[in-house]
Amino acid sequence: MPNGGTLELMKHFVPDTGQSSEFRVARLERQLLRERSARLEAEAIAERGLRELYEQKQWLLLLQRVTKGANEADDIAEAFALSLREVCIQMGWDFGNAYLIDSGSREAVACDVWYAEEPDRLFAFIDASRQIRFTSGIGLPGRVLRDSRPHWILDVRDDEGFLRRSEAKRCGIKSGCAFPIVIKDETVGLFEFFSSRTVMATDDLLATMAQISSQLGRVVERDRARRALLHDASHDALTGLPNRALLAERCARAAADLSSNGQGVGILVIDLDGFKAVNDRFGHHAGDSLIRALGERLRGVVELFQRESDPNWPAERVTLSRTGGDEFVVLLDGLADRSWVDDLTGRIHKAFERPFYIGSSEVRLAASIGFALSDTGRCDVNQLLRDADLAMYEAKSEGRGRTIEFNEELGEVIRNRRQLEHELRLAIRDCQFRLFYQPIIDMRAGTELRGYEALVRWQHPERGLVSPAEFVPIAEEAGLMSFIGGWVLHEACDALARLHAMGEAHSRRFISINVAPMQFLQPNFAAQVRRTLMRTGVRPESLKLEITEGVAIIDPVRTAKVLAEVREWGVQTSLDDFGTGYSSLSYLQNLPFDTIKIDKSFIDDLTSKRSQDIVRAILDLARSMELSVIAEGIETEAQRAILEQLGCPFAQGYLYGRPVCEEQAFAL
Amino acid sequence: MKGIVFNLLEEAVSAAHGVDAWADLIDAAGVSGVYTSLGSYPDDDMTALVQSAANLLGCPENDILHWFGRAAMPLLAQRYGDFFKGHATARSFVLSVNAIIHPEVRKLYSGAGCPHFHFEDAADGALLIGYRSPRKLCHLAHGFVQGASDHYGEEAAIEHLQCMLEGHPLCRMAVRWS
Repeated sequence: MPNGGTLELMKHFVPDTGQSSEFRVARLERQLLRERSARLEAEAIAERGLRELYEQKQWLLLLQRVTKGANEADDIAEAFALSLREVCIQMGWDFGNAYLIDSGSREAVACDVWYAEEPDRLFAFIDASRQIRFTSGIGLPGRVLRDSRPHWILDVRDDEGFLRRSEAKRCGIKSGCAFPIVIKDETVGLFEFFSSRTVMATDDLLATMAQISSQLGRVVERDRARRALLHDASHDALTGLPNRALLAERCARAAADLSSNGQGVGILVIDLDGFKAVNDRFGHHAGDSLIRALGERLRGVVELFQRESDPNWPAERVTLSRTGGDEFVVLLDGLADRSWVDDLTGRIHKAFERPFYIGSSEVRLAASIGFALSDTGRCDVNQLLRDADLAMYEAKSEGRGRTIEFNEELGEVIRNRRQLEHELRLAIRDCQFRLFYQPIIDMRAGTELRGYEALVRWQHPERGLVSPAEFVPIAEEAGLMSFIGGWVLHEACDALARLHAMGEAHSRRFISINVAPMQFLQPNFAAQVRRTLMRTGVRPESLKLEITEGVAIIDPVRTAKVLAEVREWGVQTSLDDFGTGYSSLSYLQNLPFDTIKIDKSFIDDLTSKRSQDIVRAILDLARSMELSVIAEGIETEAQRAILEQLGCPFAQGYLYGRPVCEEQAFAL
Repeated sequence: MKGIVFNLLEEAVSAAHGVDAWADLIDAAGVSGVYTSLGSYPDDDMTALVQSAANLLGCPENDILHWFGRAAMPLLAQRYGDFFKGHATARSFVLSVNAIIHPEVRKLYSGAGCPHFHFEDAADGALLIGYRSPRKLCHLAHGFVQGASDHYGEEAAIEHLQCMLEGHPLCRMAVRWS
């Protein structure tokens, strides 16, 4: 094509300087619009890519954490607990719950392994879910069991087939879903999750849950394989002692012989004290070798006892068996003399006096023993075993190295305790607790009221006010303390908001609450505190959390971390019962506290020089560490005068006021 | 502050006051005006823009923020329709905002601070919303809730129970839908 032709074409694109400026502006505006649209489109593309990347990264991280946890877990419960927690946090579920499928009945049975962000808010639902069971097709878990695939309920309140509807409504639960845990094609367990929001299924979520499910399936498979190996054998692989199966066989024979030969049967349940700590400190491998050594020692003791009691006692009628991790049972079939049992328990306790060794570390263990005898009018051997077990728990609750014999009174005590535990659950559900407030005053400014310690009471519908000393131990044993503690935290913050609304002077007061070890060591305790502050809008500085050294002993590293976290928002921390515990000084140094509370026992005895010296030393220590001090349990004017003279800044006790209800306390 | 918030403000201002209004506002506020949804920009820019708008229109800054929050909702629904689809009511949508905001902010800036809303059901059926942020943009949040209610064709009555702007440690509002 000749040059002239190209020029001819280009001519149209040469700007026509003769065009009006209006035309040019309009063209520029169109161009601007195009640029703008291009920018928006580019942004949208980049955002989509980044979002996908971010989400995938989150799913991968979740999967990684679950896989790691599942591989490291010692048993199914631990692997499930960890996975539930990770999934709840990552996906924003309020509650996650685990089931195993019973191989006999093919039911989905909840295994009391669960995670909740705010357990006390969801108490009714959690309590209804912890031990529930479902047959195929019934309820949410039943649907998963029937179809072996995930099921989703967008609004449980509209789902007629959702069995826990009333509890869900009560707790504000809206959506839920459940996923099977599978080994190949068999559903062996399942997880269910619930939220107060509408949560929808996405492809990524389903794919990730499927992978988590197969990871957990492997954990169940591993556990089954281990059990199968041991199932047929009649002896415990670790110690070589008879196992539960053989014990059951011998028990059955003892029961059959019992009526004919007229001789007695005795059963001892032996449980180690302090074994868990050994496992935690030295690892499971060391724990296993310890159990082996212990089995050896117990075998020696029982054999010697048998020979010395009656040389003609047939060997197979005295059975020492290992029935659990750190639990042993002795069956004495043909017990001629009751005093033999006392002899045997004495020998067993004595055997624990010598230390055990793990490498070069000395380990001291003790045993709690419970026993039950047939000659007290009972001849059901399985019942004897259960009774001995209850007696063992009773022995354990009294401290290390005790022996307790089961009797009817003990049975009665235990029945009462169960009744109380049942009532305690109702109390949590129906909010039967009340907070009472005891004034804390500033001694330096006369008797200026600075705050309160909140103390929980149970307003029992029939028995009236029940003191914490009566119900806290039972709540702790039944795993209910974190629910009650959660309620205390919420109620105290609500009360703070009411207190501060009463005016200028009241708005400077604080409320101090006691935090139970179980509550404090919950993985999300710090988050619970933050949420409660957020919800109630109270100033964090006006909330004081009191913990005892007991918490720090269980897990010092975690305790320090949680304390530091809550203090970061301004919440005050306080070490309760100071001076009564273990190595208080090292805790003070390593744990971030604002206040220490001098235990009442020192104040009771304050007229003695020794107690005065201790209190003076505590005050000096606190001053040098810039900690505030509250003296507890001041009852007399004399005690007050001494404390004032020693320079104690804050005080609490009957002299200034007993714990009273909110209305009375806040009117002060 | 995320660029998207500036982009939404631009769209809302342009829609209400014409395309030139935004350019005038940029000049009046003395800010750069270069905002993309992928970037993050100084909080001071937003403050200056809101202040200038308040001056130009002769109304309180809080009213500007509230208006903006409400006007932004339909624009958000246009851009991010998926976030709205799964919800049948404004209440359900509002309850999901933490789950939306967090990944949206964090996908761009890991560790970025983002507002966190705390929700609770009041005994009388109201939704209590707690909000705490150094930016103190509670009136913007207020407008967002109103805008979300518009989107679902609902009427919302919002009561500010306590406010950071009045020296409280956090903002709390009660929302009642009718």
